[in-house]
Amino acid sequence: MPGNEALRAMLPEHLLLGGLIVLIIVSMLRGARPLALPIALGSVAASAGAAFWLAASGLSAEPFVGHFVVTPTLLLVKGALLALALPVLLMSRSDFSREGLGDTEFPTLVVASLYGLSLLPSAASALVLFLGLEMMSIPVYALIVLAFKRPQSAESALKYLVLSGAASAMLLMGISLVYGATGSMALTAYADAMAQSDLLARTGVVLVLLALFLKAAVVPFHAWAPDTYEGASVPVTAYMATLSKAAVLVIAVRLFDGVNVAGPMVQLLAVLPLISIVWGNIAAIRQTNLRRMIAYSSIAHAGYLFYAFLGNSEGRLEAVTFYIVVYSAANLLAFALLPEHVDDEVRDRMETLDGLFHRDPMAASLIAVAMLSLAGLPPFPGFTAKFLIFKSVIAAGYSTYAVLGLVGSFLGLFFYLRVIQRMFMQPSSATNASTASPFAARAAGVLCLAATAVLMIAPGWLLDRL
Amino acid sequence: MSDAMMLNLLLFLPLGAAALLAFVRSNPNTVRITTTVAMGVQFVLAVLLYLNFDGAVPGLQAATSVPWIAEWGVSYAIGLDGVNILLVLLTAFLGPLVILGAWTAIEKDVPLFHVNVLLLQFAMMGAFLAQDLFLFYVFWEAMLIPMFLIIGIWGGARRSYATVKFVLYTAFGSILMLAAVIYLVWSLQQMGGVASFAFADLMQARLPLNVQITLLAAFALSFAIKVPMVPLHTWLPDAHVEAPTPGSVILAGVLLKMGTYGFMKLGFPLFPDATRVFTPVLMTLSVVSIVYGACLALVQQDIKKIIAYSSISHLGYVMLGLLSLDLAGIQGAVVQMVSHGLVAAGLFLLVGMVYERGHTRELSAYGGLARQMPVYGVFFIVFTLASVGLPTTSGFTGEFLVLLGAFTAAWPQHLDGNNLPLILSVTAVTGVVLGALYMLRFALTFVFGPEKAPHGPLSDLTLREKTVLGILTVSVFALGLFPDSALRKTELAAKTYQQLVSTSRLPSDAR
Repeated sequence: MPGNEALRAMLPEHLLLGGLIVLIIVSMLRGARPLALPIALGSVAASAGAAFWLAASGLSAEPFVGHFVVTPTLLLVKGALLALALPVLLMSRSDFSREGLGDTEFPTLVVASLYGLSLLPSAASALVLFLGLEMMSIPVYALIVLAFKRPQSAESALKYLVLSGAASAMLLMGISLVYGATGSMALTAYADAMAQSDLLARTGVVLVLLALFLKAAVVPFHAWAPDTYEGASVPVTAYMATLSKAAVLVIAVRLFDGVNVAGPMVQLLAVLPLISIVWGNIAAIRQTNLRRMIAYSSIAHAGYLFYAFLGNSEGRLEAVTFYIVVYSAANLLAFALLPEHVDDEVRDRMETLDGLFHRDPMAASLIAVAMLSLAGLPPFPGFTAKFLIFKSVIAAGYSTYAVLGLVGSFLGLFFYLRVIQRMFMQPSSATNASTASPFAARAAGVLCLAATAVLMIAPGWLLDRL
Repeated sequence: MSDAMMLNLLLFLPLGAAALLAFVRSNPNTVRITTTVAMGVQFVLAVLLYLNFDGAVPGLQAATSVPWIAEWGVSYAIGLDGVNILLVLLTAFLGPLVILGAWTAIEKDVPLFHVNVLLLQFAMMGAFLAQDLFLFYVFWEAMLIPMFLIIGIWGGARRSYATVKFVLYTAFGSILMLAAVIYLVWSLQQMGGVASFAFADLMQARLPLNVQITLLAAFALSFAIKVPMVPLHTWLPDAHVEAPTPGSVILAGVLLKMGTYGFMKLGFPLFPDATRVFTPVLMTLSVVSIVYGACLALVQQDIKKIIAYSSISHLGYVMLGLLSLDLAGIQGAVVQMVSHGLVAAGLFLLVGMVYERGHTRELSAYGGLARQMPVYGVFFIVFTLASVGLPTTSGFTGEFLVLLGAFTAAWPQHLDGNNLPLILSVTAVTGVVLGALYMLRFALTFVFGPEKAPHGPLSDLTLREKTVLGILTVSVFALGLFPDSALRKTELAAKTYQQLVSTSRLPSDAR
């Protein structure tokens, strides 16, 4: 029965939607407000669990023909992305309880955004893709403003709104041009459009790609990221740096599915990411502000991720998903264990990390693991992920780009090590009377650490399933 | 217990001990004792494996190989062969001595320090034992992190500069090696169809000369930085001077052998044709390292720097021996690796012991230590003579065999009638003289000469220090007087290496 199939195939989405409705009701009831976070956690966990369960049961279906597909692999991607939202929710607890605002708003907005996110891996038409992207982005504008006590937050939110709007406009324009050239809304139209020499189709594809670059903060469309990350509160920055970036990459994988990236497209898909890698890593060295540093680091990582698109599409989903999971787990691990401080402004300074090992050995060690994984040093999974990307670049025949990218990644080593130096080798400074991170944030950290450890010891476990 | 199980236990023992120390809070002495016991057990296992190792059997012994990332052809493969057996024994031997010898050198963050030393031991052992290129690379890079922390946390005044320089230097080499590793495996997959990182499969590779040259250049850069060969050596004096005593001992004793081991196990045998092309350049650089390192050691005012530069000089001999492709030279290189490990470890321990008492490394601050610390003086002279290469010590066996090899070497044919080999060999011999010069100059002012000490007379060695140095002294003489046992275990591997590197492996259609 078709209705029944739609219900089952979209179970993760339905669980999120149910959670969202309950959250909206709860936020209206004064007494029930503390329940918001557990409800959000529950619905996201249930949704991720449902996606994994459906993936394990080998479900392949197309509940809305031409628009929405599920396959075990796509469900696994969806489940992984949703599971990554759990640490984000967990680490939010202390941040917003202080502000007086946000204890229901944050979970509600995150779940709303996740609903859009969960549509993306399954999208089969440009329509659903755009819908999902917008549903994911719009709650993020509001999320940034939640840190309204910092003067930069309004600025950040506005910047993100304007630039994200520009990206959406570009995406829509691109989609319409491709539709005009191919007469199809299906994602497979992009493979056709790319094969054509028609100017209309090509312009459409380039516009779509540039929109994705803007959303993922690839140089030269990156300037919004440091400002936006800086103005937002820690959990929101964590959400933007990991999940919204992951969403863009998932869209890109879906769009370029089956497309052999060669010829003039390489100029776009190799040169700009290469510049991102180099510039992101160099600019991160100069930052004195943690969130700005992470922003530049994420610009570099966007570069590695787009590198995976060179060559034919075989193994692309595998490389991108593995990288996203590893990168997000490391980033969230670091964010979850950042020392707390009453003043968010102070918390953002690099000096708060000085001598952290002596104040909180566990937090310092885990942040160090996160940094080493982000730097791509073995034996941490960041290395395996990077290896996978560069393996595909070399297999595609672009050895020069691979070498240049690797040298670019070497530049990044410097600032990741600097963070470790601050934590282990500097004395505590007097200004950073920070408090230890609360239990929920630690739990978030442990979740990420567990994911990192599994991917370190048995990367094949995930790779075989993708 | 089978040998393979023993080898796995030997590898993972330090990791287990590190985990234990990381999670169980205990006082400094318990930490030190736990570490020493773990390392001690590891040494016992290494000795048992060494005794069981049959030098007459070709190939791997005590080997384990299980698929790790099956999709990529990566396996967890470890094993002993004639190339790594001595280095494994050396690593396991120095482990407990480092902890014992520097018992009081570390007072700050003792548990963290020992966790790092154990992790470093794990990574070094893994790099020596790995028989899979992916696994080798993981261990090779993993060594960086504990060493980065050891120098950066417990180092001297300029530790921050030194440790970042160390990591950036070595990581730069490794990143290019990574590109080469990926390219190598990928191109083999293109030819043979099977993705595999196993050394044994990679040794079957037949690659065109230009590819071999590019790949060897990448591998060689990484290995040469680690050796270190002039002109890539500038990180070493900084790292050595700033590192705490145990850090210096591990660095000189084991870590520097990684580079030469890499050349012997991977670099040269993987790309024999490119090796022949590179031989004149690498030979020259080895001899330059020997002489230049010795000259620099001659003018240093910092006692740690003298030994640091002497390491550059001594490892030049190893490279010379490996490149000579003469059986005696190769065997000499292997002995020299072990000998340098023992002697440099002893000298760094000795220097560290004085530093703990005098709190300065200025050569001019000390004098006449033989009278203030008679036992210390004796040990110092023993290790000085071993470093110089006096007969009956291990240093002699190594250097003599290497020089013998250099003179009788089978030189690449395009160098026939060229004077370069002879000039290089003769120059290398002058290195021995220079070696005697700087070590004796060091000993002359340091141990003899007018009595001088920074803060009044220094107290002589404690029983613990005497024991550690005594054990090292015995091992130095054992290797010098009875090298046969060691040479028998490695002879076959040296022959295999010689044969692998001398046989061309260009693609069959290109020949």
